[in-house]
Amino acid sequence: MSIIQQHTSASLSDAWRTINIDALDPDSSQNFDTTSLHPPLPEINEADVRQLNAQVRQLLRGGDAEGALRGCLETPVYNGSESAKTVTEVLQSIKASDMSPMLERIHQSPGGSELLDVLIKYLYAWQPLPAPVVLLGWREAGHRVPLTPQQTGFSQVGSRPGSTNESTGAAMSVILSWHEKVIDIAGLGSIGRCMTDWRKV
Amino acid sequence: MSQSLRPYLKCVRSSVTAALCLANFASQTSERHNVPEVEAQSSPEVLLNPLVIARNENERVLIEPSVNSVRISIKIKQADEIENILVHKFTRFLTQRAEAFFILRRKPVKGYDISFLITNFHTEEMLKHKLVDFIIQFMEEVDKEISEMKLFLNARARFVAESFLTPFD
Amino acid sequence: MLLLDYQNVLIQSVLTERFSGAPPASIDQTVSDFDGVTFHISTPETKTKIVVSINIRCFKELVQYGAEQVLQREYDQYVIPPEIGYDFSILVDLENLPAEKEERDELIKKISLMKRNAMAAPFEHAYEEYYKLKEAASQYTSEEAPQGVREGGDVMAIHYREEEAIYVKASHDRVTVIFSTVFREETDRIFGKVFIQEFVDARRRAIQNAPQVLFRNDPPLELQGVPGVQTSTSGEVGYVTFVLFPRHLTPQRMPDVISHIQTFRDYFHYHIKASKAYIHSRMRRRTADFLQVLRRARPENEEKERKTASGRTFKVQG
Repeated sequence: MSIIQQHTSASLSDAWRTINIDALDPDSSQNFDTTSLHPPLPEINEADVRQLNAQVRQLLRGGDAEGALRGCLETPVYNGSESAKTVTEVLQSIKASDMSPMLERIHQSPGGSELLDVLIKYLYAWQPLPAPVVLLGWREAGHRVPLTPQQTGFSQVGSRPGSTNESTGAAMSVILSWHEKVIDIAGLGSIGRCMTDWRKV
Repeated sequence: MSQSLRPYLKCVRSSVTAALCLANFASQTSERHNVPEVEAQSSPEVLLNPLVIARNENERVLIEPSVNSVRISIKIKQADEIENILVHKFTRFLTQRAEAFFILRRKPVKGYDISFLITNFHTEEMLKHKLVDFIIQFMEEVDKEISEMKLFLNARARFVAESFLTPFD
Repeated sequence: MLLLDYQNVLIQSVLTERFSGAPPASIDQTVSDFDGVTFHISTPETKTKIVVSINIRCFKELVQYGAEQVLQREYDQYVIPPEIGYDFSILVDLENLPAEKEERDELIKKISLMKRNAMAAPFEHAYEEYYKLKEAASQYTSEEAPQGVREGGDVMAIHYREEEAIYVKASHDRVTVIFSTVFREETDRIFGKVFIQEFVDARRRAIQNAPQVLFRNDPPLELQGVPGVQTSTSGEVGYVTFVLFPRHLTPQRMPDVISHIQTFRDYFHYHIKASKAYIHSRMRRRTADFLQVLRRARPENEEKERKTASGRTFKVQG
């Protein structure tokens, strides 16, 4: 049997040339197991989240905005969407003049800088992002990245329900001024930690 | 500077500054190569979380950091057809001169008008805070330039039309 | 130079020099004008006999609307049979010029307006038609006027460029001039839109007595059924309509209005291009500024060896 007869229609086309063979190699750097980089996420179930959100709203209604904010930040809910909405509500209800003193108090309290790190994450997470466009641009720009690590690795860019539509300029400027105040107090390091932390809100 | 532009630029400034922490990093896929990891996308562990800073739907900045390179993409405000064409012309003009700009990417990331790619080699040669200054000044002036060009075009059109029609009067 | 000249400047300057009494010289020049019009100035027989010929794309159409009569009227004793390859020629004998300087200048002016005069034929025709229709319409009230009077004259099409045309139509109360213009490029299309919008608005804003200007991308009603009008709606073709009202249609104003409206297309495109050029130079300047800012990011260069043009090296001080 000659070699030529072993050709199939698939091998005759040029498609195989574009296969990224690195992706098929389990030892390739492309297939780095990013799960090893994830710090353990706190166990939290949906009921707890709902309860937390309810508590925060309760505090907010009671006029204790600082308590509400603390409540959100002390128990960050990762990979969730509901709590981000709650945080936004809390942030928007706080007056501009109260921002800095409140952040200062939170920063001074024990474990305060971690709380602000969480807040920064929420602020970036809130930025409206036409997710499909960006992800698409990225995938095209980058070379065929295998899907699995991508999904776990970069899913922060995923769309956040409710945030894309209500992205009015006014709401954005609230977020931006919060960002400015937090950076003034917590420093650039908090942005760095936000970029490097694999736990995403 | 308008009221809402300042916090926006400030936010971009601090984010870019934070993202510009670059180190030399050899490619893990091809030996003796050194590629901007953010472009290669071949090692997920060296890519950091991308950040988006938006002023509104039409103006935003995407910062994609990685261990040895940062990609910064800017979406410039385009309120109408004229601004759209002016932005397109201007960014095209710039990207055709990408060589002279060192950090300018020849092709913008999809969904954005212009992209910069800063690698560790750039930060080794150039002063980081000045690079950030450049990005910020670019953002400021591009908006100004576009609206000035638009104003000029309208003013000229008006003048031209009136001068042509006046002899009929 | 904001408005375009009606005459051809090159012809004007050549003739001015010749007529000024300079020693006769042989000439053989091809001169271009807008809309693909070419002139030929030559001295085929003797140095004192200057022949000026013109070639216009749409001369056949112009003849239909009475171009020959108009040109005959204007150039009368100078007209000679057209040179081969050209549509119309005149001959001026330097030894036979008018005596007065004013008259000579007048002649120069007339010759340099040859394109304008040739193109004026359909417009003059429209004027005459308008006078007739007005006369006819004055005998009726608006309802009972016969079909012909109410509808006005036929549409006269002048395909003066490859893809663009002027349409002229007379009615009893107005003369409509429609320019079809093509924008190949997106930028031109948008710039054109900005400009034309100002033409449309100018009447409302500042110059109440100007002709009404209308713009649309599909052929206007007047052009329905006119052969050769493209019905494509790709957005590349635009139709600019000028409506000349009775106040523009008086015999006294006719020459000026005709001259002026002819220059519209070239004027319009000229200013679009000028704007593009300006914006380009602006971008160039701004880009240089940006480069300057970026260059500041480089730390001060340490002392570098430099070379002079002759190859010697030297060090830059401080």
